Amino acid sequence: MEVVDLSHTSPRDFMTLGCGSLKNIADLSFRPRRVNLLKLNVEEFEDHEREIRADILNSESLEKVGLHPIVDDTPVFGIDTSSIDLGETKDGSLCAVRGSIVWRYKRGYQYTRYGPFIFHITENNKHVLYNKLRQTYFASRDEVSAPSLWLMPDRIRNVLERWLQKLVCQSCQDSLLLWDGSLTAWTFDSPVSVLSEMLHTARNRGNIILAFSKKTKLYVADRRIADLIDNRESPCLLKIDEAIRLQYGSSLCFFGRVYAAKLAPGCFTFRLDVDREVPEEEGIRAVERLIGSDLVIESYPETLRLAHITTRFSASEVIGMQRYIAENYGMRIVGRPDVRQVLFGPYAGASHQGLEDEWAYDAYL
Amino acid sequence: MMHIYKIDGNTLQVICCSPEDVRKGDYLLINDVAAKRGLIAQVVNTGYANVPGILEDILREPSASRVMGKDLDPLEMKPYVDMIKDAKSFTCKIRRGVVEETLDDDISWVPSRSTSRVENLSDEKLIKMAGVGKHNSISIGTTKRGGEVSIDVASIDGKLNIITGKKDTGKSHLSKLLVLGLISKGGICVVFDVNGEYVNLGYTSDGEKGPFYDKIIVLSPGENFKVTLKYAGLNVLLSVMSSVLDLPATSAWEFRRIWQYLVKSGMLSLRELGEAIQSVKNNYVQDALLRRYESLVSTGFFTDYTEDAITLENVLKKVKGGGALVFNLQDLPPTFRRIIVEFLLNKFSQLLRKWVVRAIFLFAEEAHLYLKETYWDDIVTRMRHLGVFTTFVTNQPDSIREGVYRQADNIFLFNFTNENDLDIVSRATRVDVETVKVIACELPRHHCLMLGKAVKDFPLIVEVNPIDAKTMGQTRLFFTNL
Repeated sequence: MEVVDLSHTSPRDFMTLGCGSLKNIADLSFRPRRVNLLKLNVEEFEDHEREIRADILNSESLEKVGLHPIVDDTPVFGIDTSSIDLGETKDGSLCAVRGSIVWRYKRGYQYTRYGPFIFHITENNKHVLYNKLRQTYFASRDEVSAPSLWLMPDRIRNVLERWLQKLVCQSCQDSLLLWDGSLTAWTFDSPVSVLSEMLHTARNRGNIILAFSKKTKLYVADRRIADLIDNRESPCLLKIDEAIRLQYGSSLCFFGRVYAAKLAPGCFTFRLDVDREVPEEEGIRAVERLIGSDLVIESYPETLRLAHITTRFSASEVIGMQRYIAENYGMRIVGRPDVRQVLFGPYAGASHQGLEDEWAYDAYL
Repeated sequence: MMHIYKIDGNTLQVICCSPEDVRKGDYLLINDVAAKRGLIAQVVNTGYANVPGILEDILREPSASRVMGKDLDPLEMKPYVDMIKDAKSFTCKIRRGVVEETLDDDISWVPSRSTSRVENLSDEKLIKMAGVGKHNSISIGTTKRGGEVSIDVASIDGKLNIITGKKDTGKSHLSKLLVLGLISKGGICVVFDVNGEYVNLGYTSDGEKGPFYDKIIVLSPGENFKVTLKYAGLNVLLSVMSSVLDLPATSAWEFRRIWQYLVKSGMLSLRELGEAIQSVKNNYVQDALLRRYESLVSTGFFTDYTEDAITLENVLKKVKGGGALVFNLQDLPPTFRRIIVEFLLNKFSQLLRKWVVRAIFLFAEEAHLYLKETYWDDIVTRMRHLGVFTTFVTNQPDSIREGVYRQADNIFLFNFTNENDLDIVSRATRVDVETVKVIACELPRHHCLMLGKAVKDFPLIVEVNPIDAKTMGQTRLFFTNL
């Protein structure tokens, strides 16, 4: 079986809309984001999924499913995206998004990376920008109000992620598709129709979607769920679907059957969503094929880890993009005073102090 | 594009974030337009800028983890990111200030970090600004960026120079270039040629007679260079016997008595001197004198036949308009070598005192082989005032005393890889340690770092000019047919 080449398709509108937004900047002064590696780390490791805290009262009702790796070299695809703030303009902010698809096939990993795409988001253009993207990539006819400026980069990223997921669902066959997050539908960024269509397309082509969430906090009677699964029992799944649906079913739409997954010995247990429309046994077998086909470290598939690594922006990339904007759009870089530093001086806190030696990672360009 | 990053003392750090061909040894001009002045700084070290997260970048580089892939980069951002990753940091030493295109010694001010322009200073411009090789100059070579470097004769006239570097880097070549340059300017050079490298300097590389053929006189002690006792004189001979042959003071006193008697009776000759020594009554003194006498005779340097002997005065007449006296010390036993050098230094001092000759440029190759330690200070101080302007050429920098380095006006530094050697050279006061240590160990063959007055204290890396002369010493080889 040959793996389809994903590099022929690109999200053209991301580039067109992004470049368009950059061309219409009235005031060309630009205050670049201060690049601080430590801060970058914190921000980038945040999961894009909204936080869910599942409190399960009775652990006895939870069923454990032991897993036996099936080695059949099933192609595994992982998708991840990231966004980053590049700086401020007088009217708004500059951000960049990027996405990556990584696949494992015949014991080797490959990737296709899309972007970066740079956007200048203002109060004036955010509505048009957001709805245009939604119309193009979600095929949504409804106009929705755009979120606040600070949420826009994440929403744009989400559109890119959904587009990449759709691309993979349509292009791949008989593969395991790993998503970062869950199979829960939200109002704006994961509309029910979009998610349901993607799952349907995937199923029709013999693909199974497995979504790993790092953000869902799972507790059973105030104990971390990870503590309920012993290392000796791994790899195994803990069925928590019913418990979660009881808690959130009225407000959220769960497209996935929810498990707590401990796929390898270690400290972590992740929430795993498997397409609900796929028979349960087939879903479990898909997880067994995953641990047989992909490298799994600390319960997390390597394909998805690489997708995250390849999509993530590094500090030098941020500086490079800031330079690109300054050079190609005639923007003047200005260093506006930091209000905390001006007011509080040395008492502004470590991150606000210009301690170059201690903060060797910091740089302005 | 280059920007000032830090200034600490006279060390300046410049960040360069688009490819600029700046290398160690190059000069930068930091022009503070608002202050209407600038600084001239020399790059002494280069490296990558401390770009945030670069280690992380390298570690996660997909190719490094054997993940192949494609980048759909519609904005073509990669060159920008690569540029950031390749950003360089130049450590520079501030050499001088500039005010309206004129050099200024005031480097106590700090240029504006935000508005100063940092630009490459071409070697031609620097040389012109510094006034290196402006008047009556000798062409030395070219810088890496093509600037022609000449040095004023005045910058080596009356000065002490050191040419040092490891073997086969081109020290002697530069020394010969200086000799030929000085000859062309009418200077009189005296060369102590330990390896017989200068004996063919009058010939072109094809073996034809060169333009300075008549001006280079090769004197081989014991062969075409012999002197009479009378010409040598008591003081010179006593100095030779005391310094080289360690004649005790009592015996020296007796030798003086014998000499004066022979002069008074008009019988001063080697034979008579020998007989007079034989007649000394004190056996110890007689034995001491006899052994020294035999040492002197065995050299063949002293003769009783005036037709075999020459005088330095006569030889100097032949090179009156410029020339070189090459004293071939090759294959001479160490003691003989030291006798000759002692004789020459004493004799030249006499001649200089009498103004027979105005000054001489002395080229002393591997001087530690024939010069007593006590002589170094004498050469550097007293003899310099008499008109002996010395250039020491050595591949053993530790053979030259630290005091000599401190007195040196010019240092021509060739490649050294040994840190101990670099430590010694860096004690010279005319340059900072970092410049010497970082640059000298990377100098290619025939390239030298010129330090001192000749380059107006702007250290320059120079590729020494070739010379059309037979410059190689003849080394006996075993595998001649290979």
